[in-house]
Amino acid sequence: MPAAVIPLLWFQILAALLFTIGVVGVLVRRSALVIFMSIELMLNAVNLSFVAFSRQHVSMDGHIFVFFVMAVAAAEVAVGLAILIAIFRNRDTASVDEVRLLKG
Amino acid sequence: MILQGLLFAMFAGTAVGCAIGMVFHRNPVHCALLLVAVLLSISGLFVLLNAPFIAALQVLVYAGAIMVLFLFVVMLLNIRGESPLLTTGSAKGFGILFAIIVFVELLWTVLSPSTELSAPTSMLPRGFGSPAAIGRVLYTVWLYPFEITSILLLIAVVGAVVLAKRKFL
Amino acid sequence: MDTAFLIESAVKVCVVLGFILLGVPIIVWMERKVIGHMQDRIGPERVGPYGLLQTIADGIKLFMKEDLVPAQSDKVVFIIAPALTVVTALVATTVIPWGDTVQVFGRTIPLHVADVNVALLFVLATTSMGVYGVVLGGWASNSKYPLLGGLRSSAQMISYELAQGIALVGVILMTGTLSLAQIARAQEHLWFVVPQFFGFVIYVLSAIAETNRAPFDLPEAETELVAGFHTEYSSMKWAFYFLGEYANMIVVSGVAITVYLGAWHGPVLPPVLWFLIKLSLFLFFYVWLRATFPRLRYDQLMAFGWKVLLPASILNLVVTATVLALRSGP
Repeated sequence: MPAAVIPLLWFQILAALLFTIGVVGVLVRRSALVIFMSIELMLNAVNLSFVAFSRQHVSMDGHIFVFFVMAVAAAEVAVGLAILIAIFRNRDTASVDEVRLLKG
Repeated sequence: MILQGLLFAMFAGTAVGCAIGMVFHRNPVHCALLLVAVLLSISGLFVLLNAPFIAALQVLVYAGAIMVLFLFVVMLLNIRGESPLLTTGSAKGFGILFAIIVFVELLWTVLSPSTELSAPTSMLPRGFGSPAAIGRVLYTVWLYPFEITSILLLIAVVGAVVLAKRKFL
Repeated sequence: MDTAFLIESAVKVCVVLGFILLGVPIIVWMERKVIGHMQDRIGPERVGPYGLLQTIADGIKLFMKEDLVPAQSDKVVFIIAPALTVVTALVATTVIPWGDTVQVFGRTIPLHVADVNVALLFVLATTSMGVYGVVLGGWASNSKYPLLGGLRSSAQMISYELAQGIALVGVILMTGTLSLAQIARAQEHLWFVVPQFFGFVIYVLSAIAETNRAPFDLPEAETELVAGFHTEYSSMKWAFYFLGEYANMIVVSGVAITVYLGAWHGPVLPPVLWFLIKLSLFLFFYVWLRATFPRLRYDQLMAFGWKVLLPASILNLVVTATVLALRSGP
């Protein structure tokens, strides 16, 4: 198979950029759902970085890591959304700014 | 050569554009759809990186199942966009400041010479990134994490069902 | 990536696309005629000989109908949703091997648009993206019945995707490859339907549920939820949904034939003709099922998918793996 045509640096910078956009989303948005989606964006940026490094060092370990990250992300999304549903049912709001007191 | 550069530009541009759109959009369904577009572009980037199995898994698992779960929750609970859109006050400024710090830090790590990014990329072995190559490593070296992940998924399924019930058991 | 390859790919894409877009009206006609005869009536017979031009007349009618977009709906998503269904179905046709190789101008051209080494996974991935067309169509209509129909339909589709995928793993274990072209080539002496009969049955049943066809078509049944997720759709967008449904049927039949029924292998006729014959027979079987069986209720449908098909497919996988492991020895 031919060598990499696109320099690895570009992939890493793209991954860093996507990660940062995810961080902005988590810190700045009020909707719990969009915060979840920003977390998924960060996980995907990390996946991209892993696969790019895996290609650079010619090792399958990066791919295996991405596999596990995907499985764990699926588990996290399932449980997180279940928690969101439980909160939404009680407080009728999905905004993290309003769900900040332990007492209901 | 040019084709790969063009494809990279297209996928990277779509990913960044849709990511920024997702973070600043009001309607949660539109955010979810923009995130699906990001996931599909990243899948395209995986194909460019000789990882066809991971690319197919990304579409199948992430875009095809996890995001459908997001959409179900949004539609069933009828979650609407909230106003104001962003956190109020100084938290917004601090958030963006921290994000910029994170970005600078990541760039610093990426551009430093110790990450061997300038090492010459060698030829890939035949079947790199194929399911056979992943299977060969997954079920031998990484067997223990694999089994633990399956238990983790079982825990997640049971946990999600219990948490979303209307009454406690 | 020379120009000959590009021209060859472009021609193949045009041929496959044309075949699907022209084949869908023929399938619609065949369905109406066959169901008519099975119900002891004639079906369309006025427009053209044997009613062959009926679908074209319907197409012209649909084209001229008023194209509504509901006022309070989400307009962008409303318009994109049918396109998603069609695009995912058409993209999945690119990896189906329509025949063996063909010799043109001294070049050996394989008869599939793309030879992806994870072709089976690619087909599963694109059909799982087809869920979005349904769920977004239901939600974007901003109305109760389409939303419920869309959610039910997409829940059904994602439930049966599991059994479908695990049933296919039996064949993947036997051939050791995910590439559809190689699976087709490996069936020269024995079609995989013989050793993997239960896998075949499980795959066909889950495929019928995937494509929302009878007897699993409750979400779009007229007596239930008005018309399910496509209630608010009219004219060309509705036609798109149906084009997508029939294209999905072709994809799923193509995969079933390639993986289980010997792809293009057959004694005398050219391989492409064998593939088309098997495809026609499979689509006839689809229509036959629609004319014969009553609908499953939604909870019966979901129970069947999760409690019967999924354990059966896992059992099939375990048995196949055990037999292969024992046969290859310690």
